[in-house]
Amino acid sequence: MDKIRNTPPAGKALLAAAMLLPGVAAHAETPPERAAVSVKYLYYKEDQPGLDRIKVHSPAVSVLAPIAGEWSIAGSVTMDDVSGASPRYHTAISGASRMDDLRKAGDVSVTRYFPRGTVSVGAAFSTEHDYRSRALSLQGTYASEDKNTTWALGIGGSDDSINPVNNIVTDEGRQTVNVLAGVTQVLTPLDVAQLTFTHSRGHGYYSDPYKLVDNRPRERNQSTALMQWNHRFVDYGGTSRLSYRYYRDNFGVSAHTLGAEYVQSLANGWTVTPSVRLYSQRAADFYFDPVYDARLGAPFPPGYVFGGSAFSSADQRLSGFGAVTVGFKVARQIDRDWSVDLKLERYEQRGSWRVFGSGSPGLDPMRAVSVQLGVTRLW
Amino acid sequence: MSRRKPGRAMAWLVFSATAATLSGCALPPVQAWEKGELARPDMLMQADPLETKFNEHIYASKEAASGGSGVGGGGCGCN
Repeated sequence: MDKIRNTPPAGKALLAAAMLLPGVAAHAETPPERAAVSVKYLYYKEDQPGLDRIKVHSPAVSVLAPIAGEWSIAGSVTMDDVSGASPRYHTAISGASRMDDLRKAGDVSVTRYFPRGTVSVGAAFSTEHDYRSRALSLQGTYASEDKNTTWALGIGGSDDSINPVNNIVTDEGRQTVNVLAGVTQVLTPLDVAQLTFTHSRGHGYYSDPYKLVDNRPRERNQSTALMQWNHRFVDYGGTSRLSYRYYRDNFGVSAHTLGAEYVQSLANGWTVTPSVRLYSQRAADFYFDPVYDARLGAPFPPGYVFGGSAFSSADQRLSGFGAVTVGFKVARQIDRDWSVDLKLERYEQRGSWRVFGSGSPGLDPMRAVSVQLGVTRLW
Repeated sequence: MSRRKPGRAMAWLVFSATAATLSGCALPPVQAWEKGELARPDMLMQADPLETKFNEHIYASKEAASGGSGVGGGGCGCN
């Protein structure tokens, strides 16, 4: 295989798979009673008509341990073995870049528990041949006296450096600061809801060095509002988990994400969880459809000027589209200490599936399947 | 490139979400001894943190939107 060491979408994402610090969990205001070690293995594969794209094999380990009754430590490490092909513009098969790479990432966080709140600090690090990321974060939660309402505040920052192997740029980087504010509310003995806002401001190199005619702004500001609602169906032994996220950024992208899953308990420690996720996004302002300059041809947009400063991108991820994921998870609590789980998911995105407007024309659909296998041991 | 201001949809979203959340205050407060079901692992907002991490970063590699549930996540070249 021609080993042009590209940075494909899936791999880059998985590179950072261990990097998100634990989020603001509802009612997690006390240290864990027992230590937990989880091992997960992910297999992921994506394709489009006529082209197998990225494949990822990714083992991960996470540890969560109570310390001295008032502290806990959490950490995880992930390795991603990524290989496959990625279009250099739109969904063009011809000239797709190929790659084969191994990436490593890890994170750790320490939490101090108080009678009505928590403080957590965390750090994350990842490295690969052309990209390195370091991140720090500080989060706090504070609960009302009856502990039915919990407020959360957080701040984080990251410093990334980028050295693409094609030397289209050297020693580039990006710095990001992000903040979080949230509230978790116990509504009834069977309902809990959470509302979280985040805002991120970043500057630096945001173009994709391995895509053609890709020139993006050097500033990216992103905002999200996330609502989650969990409800327990006691009579049926089930739990519904609903979420909605609104996203927008200064690239002109806005997106809606709706998630729903239902956890059904069965006999002998088995649970099954069907899930569905619906997603829709508006294209970035500078994304151009696959209509090319009459003189220059593909991949140049009409009127393209070499060396010009106009923003442009033919990245499918910045187009307008809708996407659907369906998933099914089976888990079994074997005994007091051991549990295992298996999750299968199928994903597809199409321009014509965008809601609240028409999607970007002329792109092939993108499909993916993933399998996650996990084992957890408690001490 | 145009810098967009938060639109009407966002304002409505924030308003309705806040109202929905605060409406919890109007419900009778849940007592400590009534929270047995809420303590179940599947009632946690992040029931499976490793699965959440995998999913968030897979989606961040395929879609323009990302984030929403945490801070301090490292960057990646996927977007």
